[in-house]
Amino acid sequence: MATFYGSRNKTMERHVLLRDIDVPNIREIDVYLANDGYAAWKKALTTMKPDDVISVVKDSGLRGRGGAGFPAGVKWSFIPKDVFPKYVVVNGDESEAGTFKDHQLIDCNPHQVIEGTLLACYAVQANTAYIYLRGEFYEPAQTLQKAIDEAYARGLIGKNVLGSGFDVDVYIHLGAGAYICGEETALLSSLEGQLGQPRLRPPFPAQQGLYAKPTVVNNVETLANVPPIVLHGAQWYRQFGTEKSPGTKIFCVSGCVNRPGNYELPLGQYTIRELIEMAGGALQGRAVKGVLPAGSSAPILPASALDTKLDYESLQAAGSILGSASFVILDESVDIVWAARKMVRFFKHESCGKCTPCREGTHWALQLYNKLLSGYGTLDDVNMIGEVAAQMSGKCFCLLGEFATSPMLSTLKHFRAEYEAFVRAHSGGLRNGYDDELIREHVIDPAGNLIAGAVGQKRH
Amino acid sequence: MAELVNVTIDGVTVAVPKGTLVVDAAKKIGNHIPVFCYHPKLKPVGMCRMCLVDIGTPKIDPATKQVVRDENGNPVIQFMPKLTTACTTPVSEGMVVRTATEQVRAAREDILEFLLTSHPLDCPICDKGGECPLQNLTLAHGPGVSRFDYDAKFHNEKHVPLGELIFLDRERCIQCSRCIRFQDEIADDHVLQFHDRGRGMEIITFSDPPFDSYFGGNTTDICPVGALTTADFRFKARPWELQSAQSICTHCAVGCNITLNTRLETRHGGFEIKRVMPRQNEWVNEIWICDKGRYVHHFTRSEDRLHLPLIRREGRLVESTWQQALQLVADTLRAADGEIVLMVGDRIPNEDAYLLGQLGRAIGARVSVSPNVPSHYADVARAFGVGKDADFKRLGRGDLVLAVNADVEEQAPVWFLRLRQAVVDRGAQLIIAHHRSTKLHRYASAIHRFEVGRAPEWVQQQAETLAQALQAARHALIVFGDEHLDGPRARALAQLLANLLLQSGHAGRSDSGLLPLYPHANTQGVCDVLSPHTALPPAARVVWAVGVGDPQELPPAGFYIIQEVLHTALVEQADVVLPSLTFAEREGTFTSGDRRVQRFYRALPAPGEAKPDWWIAQEVARRLGFEWRYNSPAEIFEALAKDVPAYAELSYAALSRVVEQWPPIGREDLYYGGTAYDNTGGIGARYAAEAETRALPPYDVTIPEPTIAGLKRGPRMLYRDGELIRRSALLRARMVSLQQVA
Amino acid sequence: MITEYLRKVPVGLATVFKTLFRRPVTIQYPEEQKPMSARFRGRHHLKRYEDGLERCIGCALCAAACPADAIYVEAAENTNEERYSPGERYAKVYEINMLRCIFCGYCEDACPTNAIVLEPIDFPVGYTRESLIYTKSMLLEPPPPGVPGTPQQTPPGKYDRAILPFPPIDESV
Repeated sequence: MATFYGSRNKTMERHVLLRDIDVPNIREIDVYLANDGYAAWKKALTTMKPDDVISVVKDSGLRGRGGAGFPAGVKWSFIPKDVFPKYVVVNGDESEAGTFKDHQLIDCNPHQVIEGTLLACYAVQANTAYIYLRGEFYEPAQTLQKAIDEAYARGLIGKNVLGSGFDVDVYIHLGAGAYICGEETALLSSLEGQLGQPRLRPPFPAQQGLYAKPTVVNNVETLANVPPIVLHGAQWYRQFGTEKSPGTKIFCVSGCVNRPGNYELPLGQYTIRELIEMAGGALQGRAVKGVLPAGSSAPILPASALDTKLDYESLQAAGSILGSASFVILDESVDIVWAARKMVRFFKHESCGKCTPCREGTHWALQLYNKLLSGYGTLDDVNMIGEVAAQMSGKCFCLLGEFATSPMLSTLKHFRAEYEAFVRAHSGGLRNGYDDELIREHVIDPAGNLIAGAVGQKRH
Repeated sequence: MAELVNVTIDGVTVAVPKGTLVVDAAKKIGNHIPVFCYHPKLKPVGMCRMCLVDIGTPKIDPATKQVVRDENGNPVIQFMPKLTTACTTPVSEGMVVRTATEQVRAAREDILEFLLTSHPLDCPICDKGGECPLQNLTLAHGPGVSRFDYDAKFHNEKHVPLGELIFLDRERCIQCSRCIRFQDEIADDHVLQFHDRGRGMEIITFSDPPFDSYFGGNTTDICPVGALTTADFRFKARPWELQSAQSICTHCAVGCNITLNTRLETRHGGFEIKRVMPRQNEWVNEIWICDKGRYVHHFTRSEDRLHLPLIRREGRLVESTWQQALQLVADTLRAADGEIVLMVGDRIPNEDAYLLGQLGRAIGARVSVSPNVPSHYADVARAFGVGKDADFKRLGRGDLVLAVNADVEEQAPVWFLRLRQAVVDRGAQLIIAHHRSTKLHRYASAIHRFEVGRAPEWVQQQAETLAQALQAARHALIVFGDEHLDGPRARALAQLLANLLLQSGHAGRSDSGLLPLYPHANTQGVCDVLSPHTALPPAARVVWAVGVGDPQELPPAGFYIIQEVLHTALVEQADVVLPSLTFAEREGTFTSGDRRVQRFYRALPAPGEAKPDWWIAQEVARRLGFEWRYNSPAEIFEALAKDVPAYAELSYAALSRVVEQWPPIGREDLYYGGTAYDNTGGIGARYAAEAETRALPPYDVTIPEPTIAGLKRGPRMLYRDGELIRRSALLRARMVSLQQVA
Repeated sequence: MITEYLRKVPVGLATVFKTLFRRPVTIQYPEEQKPMSARFRGRHHLKRYEDGLERCIGCALCAAACPADAIYVEAAENTNEERYSPGERYAKVYEINMLRCIFCGYCEDACPTNAIVLEPIDFPVGYTRESLIYTKSMLLEPPPPGVPGTPQQTPPGKYDRAILPFPPIDESV
């Protein structure tokens, strides 16, 4: 059942999260139990009050690993004490381009995720947890279900767990494959069986989440951090990372590198350049042109920013975000216009359609990129891309629309010259190397004519 | 009264109840924030992003929890980093809203440009063109030119029948979800939903039959573009060509306020009704009407209309003049020696019924309402009906609605909306007793069943428990119908329910009382002004039937005078036929089931030589020697008010009173409330129930045995298949067949 | 006095004889017509596309623009089996009261499809009021040679737009 095919890269003496690298077969419950497995769960149930769990997580400074980086303990403390039922929802939608950390965690170290989920349930006194996985995670879901079944069999989940009087149930739900369902309110809507569209906030999920009840929504990786924190204490956890970004984080490295994969590193200790070196450097020794620190939703960083430290604050200062830490490396062979179009197309495809700027803006932007890529673009169109993106930003319902502008705005900011060179090099011409792709995506027909609606008609 | 908070919008400070949304607060002081997805009757969603404004709140010092003040002592306002949607943000104390900044202006322009990128520019053929929120807001806030390539426009299906009566244009749709939310939140018919996502997101219907709702027409009113159009009005006229006349819907006892839109036509020798639109009356129908009221108006220009008086000569009805017909009627009545039955239908206005009643009594005729049941209990409703100032809006938590033998959605659809709101949105308690399931059953907190036609017995048995339940309630509204009951038994039911009110102490209290489900628009009014006999005489020399439709039976007589609008089967029996006018061709007043007297106005010219009923009555009276000189219904109403005690305080002036209503509807800001019409013709007035003015004794009730005729009497369902809507040939031709929809 | 009268008679007759042999300025209108300037804006014509479909889509904007209230339009819906114009809507009834028309040309300006055009030919004349209410069949120009008139049967999807984009402007000309 080993379905995670990524390389396993040893980056720490003892991993906190990717423990499958240190301990083979940790996905088996016996192996996991032999290696401190469910020790934190037992510790919490027998010796700690729910509030103790919240305070230790709060003290550890653990920040949400899904992208926003909101402190997990603080989030838990918002849950009202006197409203029942409450829910814990684990966000395993993992749909950001270039992210595959949750995949490895669920597939290779599922019990740690389950244990973290159980601890969250205990902390907020929720009796039900839903693990929402993206639709494509069919095999990981089976692995996880097997692990859950094993835990049930050992009495670690279920009614009156370990004689503590606490009941908890864990369910897996597979999504239908929408990027927007990684957004917590859209995820809750999807879980309820409604259209996967974000909801108005307030009310926040902590007040009215799933079925209008208080709900904690945490990322898989965030919860995988909880068992070691509860077991070893907040101070132990703070030995990793920086003051404001404590702990370790899994960095997903992909793109033009020799050894793509997950790299667990303490936050703030290494730079992007060192991360790329760990991953074997850029392909064929080419120079790195740019780095997307959080898949397609983060602004691109040019090669000049490679010495930025890997933590939330440093990346923000460099003009980007850490987000889910899915580093996509672009080397000098990558055409920035092509890459930007790919990302814009992704957002156009994934826009939920609820709000006007995102629905119409991504559609419009893609048409402009289609025009550029098919060789009919002008410098006016390049400016127009920037204007459409600026017109979208700050007006969308949720962050998807805001993220959609970042590939446009950031590539224009750092690589405008390339856009202009592209327009000059390909003006008036098909057969520019992207024909097959454009035909496949219905921008041009096999005869080379533009398809109406995918792009404006040729006007010279 | 809710707590008030002060909010400053563009320098104007206004105090509004806590929880008011910024967009509504701004509207109150005349600051029109543009919206597409927001509607004052629906829950906010913040989808269209058109209402983005700059919102700031007083800065709070985190340490002291006090408002930070500058050197002048004014609070420091902290503005949000991004623009915020005014339609989703409730006001808070000290909030400052800026709507006139360059940033806000640019945001509005940007959102409109986005909307227009996928919107087809086919305003010239769009039915909404001319009253379109998108058009108006583009003119007010939109960009002067489009930077979008016209050839690159998004194309989609333009002709999608959503149901039998509603068409969808997917290209025009701007995905505001107003229609979906109306169906979910107001009508509670979950028949529409979004399908797909992103630019591909579109409206679909998933019910079977498609778009299965009695209220679907309202979605076309609140649609901010021309995406939803009715099959009836599709391409029939441009909005600016229409003339409007304020009127009252005649199909059931609710008395919905409507506006008739008419236009000059080549057919029918002149004007015809092009569409029926709701008219705002927050005490009656808010801004909604049901589909029956919206689509069933073609009878006013039916082929079957009577244009000239007819007289039977040698066995055949031949056209004649008014002079001859009236003289014949007068001569026959004079010769009948008082053996006359004057039957008046319950669809004719109060003025006409009153004058006919006066005439009938003067010539010694036996005056009765057409043989239908409600006349048996109209007096009970007059005595114990809802109070003078009762308001559906006030029903809520702590109140009780008791529905006995009543299928509210089928018999009075708009009351269903009002009761649903009271129960679901505001928390009133609903107890239902019926022999079968109705749509209202969804919201009931207690459901009782009885044998078919056994409603009076059930109430008698349950009297104690019901009285207790009523006693616990602040207000108690009792809705009842006469399904499977004959007249005397229906009267017994009404009396038993009235006794319940007396027992629980709710009788004569304003928001409590009986709400009968009458079959027609003016049942209560005709019963009020005529004081009719309830039973028919065995036989008479002359029967004069006025607007009775097609009753089962008329008493046997030697001479029939039929006064009608349409060439019904009854007309075939007539010796004299007098053509009269529909509600659209004259003015008058109707009294609705909750005793609200409302005016309606003339919209169409009379067909041929047809005349109003009051004119006919007066002309006959003058030929019989009475000196009547009424020139208009207004004068008759004056006489009526003097004569009928319940109407003493009413006058045309009182009925035409207009008050400021919230939300503002149908003014220059169509984008806000939709294309329903503003009410300038009067909100009407309700006369006081007798129980409000004096203490009444309880009824002494004995329940008569059920009769076969009574048990056979099914409910009058407004939407029964094959009836009413589909009966109109003109409308039927415009409807989409269900096969085509699927 | 009478002599004075007789003296004036030849003076008057002189004018008669003078004009008797001059060419008359009047013509036998309407049988005989004077040539009009090519840019004269006379009576209306409803134009067609090259494929014979009517340009008029029955939007009634001409009627709205008409200051004399001379135009009356009733619209109806096209189907693919019976198509009069591109798009969904066509003019079922189209009448212009030529007695009311003031030939201002606002209808031309209002027309979104360039369907109505005032042309110098065929100036409206008649002896009765009824004959001067021009109906659609009188206003509509015949289809181009070899092209069927309306209604036409058309393939689905071909004419689903009422207002066709104007052909791209050829700047080389």
